[in-house]
Amino acid sequence: MIDEQMAVFIGSGLRLAVPIIFAATGEMLSERAGVLNLSLDGMMLMSAFTAALASWATGSPLIGVAAGVLVATAVAAAQAVLSVTLRANQLVVGIGFNILALGSTTFLYREIFGPLSRDPIPGFAQLNLPWLAHIPVIGPALANQTGLAYVSILMVVVTWLILKYTSFGLAVRAVGEDPRAADKAGISVARTRYLGVLYAGILAGLGGAFMSVADSNTFTENMTKGAGYLAITAVIFGGWNPWYTLAACLLFGFATALQFLVPALQLDVPVALLLLLPYLLALVAIAGFVGKSRQPSALTIPFERGG
Amino acid sequence: MALLELSGLTKRFGAFTALDDITLLIERGEVHCLLGENGAGKSTLCNLVFGVHRPDAGTMTLGGEPFDPRGPAEALQRGVVMVHQHFSLVPNMTVAENLMLGRASAVLKPQDIIVRMEQLAAEYGLEIDPEARIDELSVGERQRVEIIKCLLGDPQLLVLDEPTAVLQPDEIDALLAICRQVALRGKSVILVTHKLGEISRVADRTTVLRQGRIIATVAMEGADIRSLVRSMVGRDVQSAGSVLAAAVDIEGKTPAKSSSDVGPTSPGEAVLQISDLVYRDPHGVPRLDGLSLTVGTGEIVGIAGVEGNGQTELGLILAGLAAPSAGAIVVGGTQVTGCTPQEITDAGVGIVPEDRHAVACIKELSVAENLYLGAIGKFSRFGLLDKSARRKAAETMMRDFDVRASSPDVSMASLSGGNQQKAVLARELSLDPLVFLLAAQPTRGLDVGAIEAVYNRIRAARDDGLGVLLISSELEELMAVSDRIAVIYRGKLVGELAAGSFSREAIGAMMSGHAHV
Repeated sequence: MIDEQMAVFIGSGLRLAVPIIFAATGEMLSERAGVLNLSLDGMMLMSAFTAALASWATGSPLIGVAAGVLVATAVAAAQAVLSVTLRANQLVVGIGFNILALGSTTFLYREIFGPLSRDPIPGFAQLNLPWLAHIPVIGPALANQTGLAYVSILMVVVTWLILKYTSFGLAVRAVGEDPRAADKAGISVARTRYLGVLYAGILAGLGGAFMSVADSNTFTENMTKGAGYLAITAVIFGGWNPWYTLAACLLFGFATALQFLVPALQLDVPVALLLLLPYLLALVAIAGFVGKSRQPSALTIPFERGG
Repeated sequence: MALLELSGLTKRFGAFTALDDITLLIERGEVHCLLGENGAGKSTLCNLVFGVHRPDAGTMTLGGEPFDPRGPAEALQRGVVMVHQHFSLVPNMTVAENLMLGRASAVLKPQDIIVRMEQLAAEYGLEIDPEARIDELSVGERQRVEIIKCLLGDPQLLVLDEPTAVLQPDEIDALLAICRQVALRGKSVILVTHKLGEISRVADRTTVLRQGRIIATVAMEGADIRSLVRSMVGRDVQSAGSVLAAAVDIEGKTPAKSSSDVGPTSPGEAVLQISDLVYRDPHGVPRLDGLSLTVGTGEIVGIAGVEGNGQTELGLILAGLAAPSAGAIVVGGTQVTGCTPQEITDAGVGIVPEDRHAVACIKELSVAENLYLGAIGKFSRFGLLDKSARRKAAETMMRDFDVRASSPDVSMASLSGGNQQKAVLARELSLDPLVFLLAAQPTRGLDVGAIEAVYNRIRAARDDGLGVLLISSELEELMAVSDRIAVIYRGKLVGELAAGSFSREAIGAMMSGHAHV
């Protein structure tokens, strides 16, 4: 009985962590290049909605994901134009996009789905990998995930490799630390930052699409519930390091999953309090870690060439 | 055929013309020095050649081909490299990572860079640990990395913008030797400096700039140094005396002191006493490590040292802008250790801070407001500002200190650096009570005329019985003004020389930690 509950807890913890892992990993790279995308949550929400819509219309969740990523990338491109080329305040731009995303998805959802909201949306099946399932306790939870969940871990590895072993990664780090020096070394600060923001957009798109077509097979208003903000927190908590960021995302995922575990164990804790837990944890994490981890020096500071 | 040809280059920043119709040839295999005062346009010229700025008029050719770089990347592609006045290295990356930055190859190949670094070490004697992080290196080592970065790609033209300002004397020698070697290999070097001593040692030709125009281009063989100075400052050398010699470092000789330059032989009672001062920065690194110093009334004590050895922190602590970790500071019998700037001012300390723009004045406010920043209460009646009284007082002060501005109501930002600094001096020297003056890098970025005024003010303050602590990175300045020079090295005073026994070599050796007196 306990084993079964633990398996459910671990499984749902991982499942809930996946969208945050996607978004945080992309955001980490973008922030290493010096651009903070507060619009992350908006990108995810728009992607979640678009993926649901496209999947419902075509019957293919794969097309749904592709459409979701496309829309999130478009938002990222707009964010990049405003914050890199036009040097607008990155935080204000991000907040604007989030409000726009919430308003537009809510409106379109009511217009398009309205009465159909009970219709299931075609989604991905779980892979059920037998070789993983044999691991005791965590095995079944690891094995019963959709393909996208494994992709999220793959993206962490890919992002780590990019930052450590490619010249693009070196350029990203340089541009986020000292754009002036990078510029004088012949690197295009604007190009590097655009690519960083678009990368964040693609991954946030995957994260958002995961929510609607891989996890719940439905769309609900404001379904991200601040997952994008949690992802930004995870980046800070993880000290701008891909592996620590992954750990922070898992922590948030499991904290959210406690809302399923605690009632199952018949403990007398109000569910509303448990729903609050990941956000409370995020606050504590930021308060405790912000001072200690060093953020990229040029984070949120637009670059302008000068003598 | 010349390597680089500039014709009719003009660059304006707003209403200010930084460069005006510059026509100049840089030959292959020559070291070409650009000489001029601050604001003469030297850096702007370099930035045009390196693509940091684009000219408003005029054309450039490089190796006979048109050359119009839209950014540093394009200049680099054409074989033009530059060492900037401020380092352009990413501080929290390793040497190898900085050298790989901006080089084509999708996957990083640190091994290739290390091999190339070994070649350069053999060729030019430029050695450095590829794995060291930039922020762990000394200023001289960082500059070595900059030069390695420049030479990696086998460039045609090496531009160095005031590279020696931050170096110790022996590092300057090494740098000038490298310039010669680079030129010997058929490449060209543009070296910006305002020190004549360096020019006579390294240049093939020198171009003098003044107010954005070329005054003269001279071959250095058999050139008359004095006439170069005259064309640089636009007036005769004699009139400026030792001040000018100090400012331009003629031949590296100590300027002779006239009798009026020398203060009282025996300073009076101690006005500033610093004992065992320790300061650790927020990372726990000790910046001041048990520094003790006494300044008497009526004397100017100079602090010499390579930048980054704790003199900046000493200035901040004396101004009350940083709290020491241990030790005591007493001014005229009053404990001021860890006091607020207001309390320190009340104890009779005048401060000319190192960072004029950030700390000494508020550029958006008017000159009059800046002159009475700390004494607003003086001009308020029933809590309201009495502007006309303040204006009148400001006018008097501006006249006394020769602050040139059209009116006390113009913004501080509209004044030249020299007049800003004179205003700061006017404010600080008008404090009452006043027993001690701290002047940190008081002539940085000023022209010769303003430098002279600052020196005279500092000497006058000394003659009025003030104790003065002068922190400066210009050795010539210290030797020209101080009654006593103490040398700071790694947060400690390592030696002291009295007026009359100053020597560049002795101070230089102490600055680099090689010798103790």
